[in-house]
Amino acid sequence: MGSIEGILAGFQVALSLEGIMFVLIGVLVGTFIGMLPGLGPISAIAVMIPITFGMDPTPALVMMAGVYYGAIFGGSTSSILLNAPGVSGTVATALDGYPMAQQGKAGKALAIAAISSFVGGTVSVVLLMLFAPLLSSVAISFDPPAYFALMFLGLTAITSLSEGSTIKALISAVVGFMVVTIGIDPQTGTQRFTFGNVNLLEGVDFLVIALGLFALAEVCTLIINRKDLSFDNKQKLGSLKITKDEFKEMRGPMTRQSFLGFLLGVLPGAGATIASFIGYITEKRLSKNPEEFGKGSVKGLAAPETANNAATSGAFVPLLSLGIPGSGTTAVMLGAFLVLNVQPGPLLMTDRPEIFWGIIASMYIGNVFLLILNLPLIPYISKILKIPRPLLISLVIMFSIIGVYAISFNTFDLYMLLLFGVIGFLMRLFSFPAPPFILAFILGGMMEQAFRQSLTISNGSYMIFVESPIAISLLIIGLLSFLFPIIGHFRRKKEV
Amino acid sequence: MFKTLNQRISIVLLVLAIVYLILAFQLPSFAYTNIDADVVPKGLGFLLVALSIGLFFAKDSETEEQRARRNIPQKDIGALLAVFAFVFLYIFFLELLGFVVTTAIFIFGCSWFLGYKKHVVNALVSVLFPLVMYLLFTSFLQINLPQGILPF
Amino acid sequence: MTRVGVSPSFREQYEQNVFFYLFNHYFENGYILKVLNYSYKQAIIFRFHKGDKIMRKYVAFLLIAILISVLAACSSDEANSDASGDWEPDKSIEMVAPAGAGGGWDTTARMAAKVFKEAGIIEEDIGVINKPGGGGAVGWAYIAGHEGSNNHLFVASPPIILVPLNGQSEYSYDDFTPIANVIADYGAFAVRADAPWDDLNDLFEDMKADPESISVVGTSSPGSMDHIQFVQIAKAAGVDVTKIKYVTDPDGVGLTQLLNGSVEVFSTGVAETVEQVKAGTIKVLGITAEERLSGEVLEDFPTAIEQGIDASFVNWRGFFGPPNMDEAAVKYYEAKFKELSDSEEFSAIRDQYGWDEMFMGSEDYKTFLDEQNETVQTLLDELGLGQ
Repeated sequence: MGSIEGILAGFQVALSLEGIMFVLIGVLVGTFIGMLPGLGPISAIAVMIPITFGMDPTPALVMMAGVYYGAIFGGSTSSILLNAPGVSGTVATALDGYPMAQQGKAGKALAIAAISSFVGGTVSVVLLMLFAPLLSSVAISFDPPAYFALMFLGLTAITSLSEGSTIKALISAVVGFMVVTIGIDPQTGTQRFTFGNVNLLEGVDFLVIALGLFALAEVCTLIINRKDLSFDNKQKLGSLKITKDEFKEMRGPMTRQSFLGFLLGVLPGAGATIASFIGYITEKRLSKNPEEFGKGSVKGLAAPETANNAATSGAFVPLLSLGIPGSGTTAVMLGAFLVLNVQPGPLLMTDRPEIFWGIIASMYIGNVFLLILNLPLIPYISKILKIPRPLLISLVIMFSIIGVYAISFNTFDLYMLLLFGVIGFLMRLFSFPAPPFILAFILGGMMEQAFRQSLTISNGSYMIFVESPIAISLLIIGLLSFLFPIIGHFRRKKEV
Repeated sequence: MFKTLNQRISIVLLVLAIVYLILAFQLPSFAYTNIDADVVPKGLGFLLVALSIGLFFAKDSETEEQRARRNIPQKDIGALLAVFAFVFLYIFFLELLGFVVTTAIFIFGCSWFLGYKKHVVNALVSVLFPLVMYLLFTSFLQINLPQGILPF
Repeated sequence: MTRVGVSPSFREQYEQNVFFYLFNHYFENGYILKVLNYSYKQAIIFRFHKGDKIMRKYVAFLLIAILISVLAACSSDEANSDASGDWEPDKSIEMVAPAGAGGGWDTTARMAAKVFKEAGIIEEDIGVINKPGGGGAVGWAYIAGHEGSNNHLFVASPPIILVPLNGQSEYSYDDFTPIANVIADYGAFAVRADAPWDDLNDLFEDMKADPESISVVGTSSPGSMDHIQFVQIAKAAGVDVTKIKYVTDPDGVGLTQLLNGSVEVFSTGVAETVEQVKAGTIKVLGITAEERLSGEVLEDFPTAIEQGIDASFVNWRGFFGPPNMDEAAVKYYEAKFKELSDSEEFSAIRDQYGWDEMFMGSEDYKTFLDEQNETVQTLLDELGLGQ
């Protein structure tokens, strides 16, 4: 069956009454679970697997795909409203989304997130449909040196994530990197900095860091300001309407990040988190007024939201065309396929074209549903902000605790959460920015692994980083983007 | 010597870096690798040493707004510490008394402490919310939360 | 959940990756399905008048769904009695999976609990509990805290031997009470389809001649499954095991590294290789089973033994109890697991996941574990990894 016929068969599946219904159920359940703090696409897919058991595989998988991108879509809500990112892909969303909500523009922030998610999702599905078979070679083109270079490029964002002192941002990043070295080292099996505690063998969990440094630190600020009347202003939902000017601002980031996010999503192991951060920094670099970033910038919100949704579709490339799960979430998706006796891999497109193309075609409809379901929901969801402050504080703490407990089933991680809450608050007090910390935590571990894998493969020769064309070009870009702001800083100083 | 705030912080960071380095130097070696488990941590340790020295001599670049954040009234510091103590007790009793009971007590107590005056609403929320969350997690999501002393 | 840190049991998690979360309640009652059925029919009838109406309905449906499932969950408690054996459970049984949801341990535990209940083998409720962390160490410590309990079980596989030998857990298999082994799985060594080697001996000859030129990738760290299974076979073939270049890919993209030529050999589970072999992108040089497996594609994989290398590695999976479990309780569970293993329901599950049947009673299991422990201990000593 040729591609065109395959695509047509896919649309037949997606546009059938059955197809539409299952996409709808999928995105509904996905958004709902994604909105709960601490629960991301993994839990959402897990919940749906038993329900699909025994169903016809095509509608079942169309529904599962809907759950997956629905959960990513819904995940930005708690980042924007409560500064409590539940999934690593939405940390970058909180950077500008939360400040925007605090300025009394919560409705607008959620609307921008919904629209840029929709654009990112839709553009990337077009790309997926046109290039999925071709892109499978891109998906495997990254060897360990190239991954090292990519992580390095991501880490160069640190200099641009700092609001004031560069040195404080770097310190924050180094400490974040130190925290990720805790646990068993995968390359050697050595226990590092575990102090003989079994709970530290697998390292500190991402959620502990994200909820500690973001949500709990914010709670501290809320406690101090709980009687501050000017806060009433911040409870305003504000208008949902996005003005023409704002739309113009969003257009650039949305277009660029749809493509960039998609490409990064295609790479196994990179995924939505890296896409959202790289999206954020590229837009900050390109922007004429980068100082707005971190203070509720429209671009700063649109970029990561577009990128992480585009990356989600991108992740379907290695999954569907190679059978390689590139992340924890797609690994669970792979499980969903296996339960239905469908083995994704190089043969899926020829053996089961209706499944392969059906899933892709259904994503168009799914994204449209997400938009028309979510926009009307915004006023209701934003009511969270109307909850009286003392009660809201208690509830945010409770949600952080549930989120962490639901993955570790262990009070040790909860004490760690509390500890990182204190650290996060102290960092705020002394003006150490939290984003470099969390970025180094996410990328540092992978960077170290890729670095050491490369050198094991090359028997210790550093030439391996120069010989790989992808690696060397990414390294050069990274180096430049690291040095430019510093050079610029000194030049400005001289002028003064 | 330690006049500015930056200098004091940099000393704390320096101590942290040295402790981390001492631990990194004690890591056992592994025979079959070119870059052992201690290489990156050592690099990070020295980097933090260098950065904290840099911070020691750095000029204070904080804005007024950032500085103002540190002016916390004594009373609020007390409130913060109390809430942290509540959270600590919440975690401590979570597995002993169960999710529903501890959460209900925590939400009610914490909200009251922070100045929420509508006790009836507070009581309703603090009972219903944990119950709904508990049932949602254990029944719908099949994620076990501590059952504790309640029979379900 | 994104564990940015390291998970030595990733292979375990990655292997089947099947979440059978709610299975017990929902699927058999069909409640959720009915509710969802109803709700999407309604959603279509309601057309889109006004956003907020739709919204209210949507929330209402979800609430109804939750309520009904809650009711379903509450109403399923039953009293029961059983007349066989000297000991029988008088309260619900807690079955621990010492890993997060979705991995091999979790799947095995949930499937066993489901068959016990559905086939009426054990009538008392069995709750599956996840205790993730430390590649199993957290869960084992939890079980060790229930010494002498007859109502706790946990699922285990080779890591319970490997992890303690690597010095990562203070509790080892011999601290617990082995009850029964149930299933087995095997390792496979794959190379790219265009690689110069056609069987394991070709590969090992080259490794002897030039060990620096060949890298092996696996998802777990040195000293754990993917590494040990390769080292064990290579050692039997006469390769100097201290010269093997082993790379860990904790993100589970070892296959990518094989396909793009970064590494030469992928040490993994048999099931992961099937689809790629069918597509002709990789070839399997050998598997670690004693005899050839059955099934399409699987039957074509040569064992190491038939290539003249006298070694095998079983990824066994079975159930243990806490330290000092009562003799009578062990007997009871042993008989129940035998019944489980022989049941049609469990046979169907084995087929679906491609697991092999491998039943061992408590005594045989203990002997088997001692042997396994000794083999691994010798290997780790030779590598200088044992603690």
